[in-house]
Amino acid sequence: MEAHNRDLYLYKRLNTQVLGVSMDDPITLKYFSESLMLEFPVISNQLPWMGMAYGAYRDKRPFLPDGTPHWFGRRTVIVDKRGILRYIKDGSPDNKEILNFLLNLEKEFREKK
Amino acid sequence: MDQKIKFTGILGTAAAVVAMIGILAGCATMGEKPKPTMVPTERGTVLFLDKYEFKSPPQNWALMKNLEGGDFELGFMLIEPGAFPTQTTFMYDDQPYGGSQDLETRAKYYCTRFLFNSGIDLRVTKQEKVILGGKDAIALSLEGENPNRDEKAKSKVYLVKKGNRIVSFVCTQWRPMNGTYSQEPFDYYEVFVQSFKFLKKDFYETFEEELTKAGL
Repeated sequence: MEAHNRDLYLYKRLNTQVLGVSMDDPITLKYFSESLMLEFPVISNQLPWMGMAYGAYRDKRPFLPDGTPHWFGRRTVIVDKRGILRYIKDGSPDNKEILNFLLNLEKEFREKK
Repeated sequence: MDQKIKFTGILGTAAAVVAMIGILAGCATMGEKPKPTMVPTERGTVLFLDKYEFKSPPQNWALMKNLEGGDFELGFMLIEPGAFPTQTTFMYDDQPYGGSQDLETRAKYYCTRFLFNSGIDLRVTKQEKVILGGKDAIALSLEGENPNRDEKAKSKVYLVKKGNRIVSFVCTQWRPMNGTYSQEPFDYYEVFVQSFKFLKKDFYETFEEELTKAGL
């Protein structure tokens, strides 16, 4: 999250909107966003249709040893301007890879325009 | 006929073996030695992977280098005589905590995250605006204790404006609660920081140029 926040000025130049999605409730996310000084929206998706739609289910047991629900893993997706899913990667995001991918996507979009 | 085919086969194998030895021999003679991470210069500095130049601390300091990405770019560590955790580390970190491009805002946020996981109750003892290598910077002095773990720490951090981003230099000295801090490691850190030069454009500088070229 912090890394995306750091790169926001580059995402803006790439005409990209960053969105965070979490199963946490809106109040928790509000404090989470404030504590990290996030400058992009974070969506609360408690009924996890979004995580399901984007296939972010974990392949591990859905509960941590302490009983905490843990149904979804971290997944980064890039949706292009036509709504087509162009990039999917699980785990910690690789921001440099994402930035290069977005640059190529923007170039591709401009060529086709 | 069979004999002839066999003979050709043996010759072919021999040729292949010779060729293989030739290739391997070629590899052995042509293979370059891996370049050392730090190369000394006539100026009393070292070149680090041709990316940075700085005055390194004495040889009893261990080099810390990121191999698979992580929290810092490069650093040094000195295990000092005394009870755990008597040691000092300093490093260059190109992605310090926070996202703000404003030095003051970044410094404020940085202090809420720095050494957070250690449980050290950290306080800023001094904060001042400085110029470092011709760049605007903020110097932070911090100190704190964690009596539950019998540890205390003293840090000096520089947050430096580099183009559109902020990079940092961080030195932290750890001591048991009854230990005394020593100045010498901080002196080596200051020499490291003051001598630090960027020899190449980093990823973000190059990327921004590419964006400009692309009209973005």
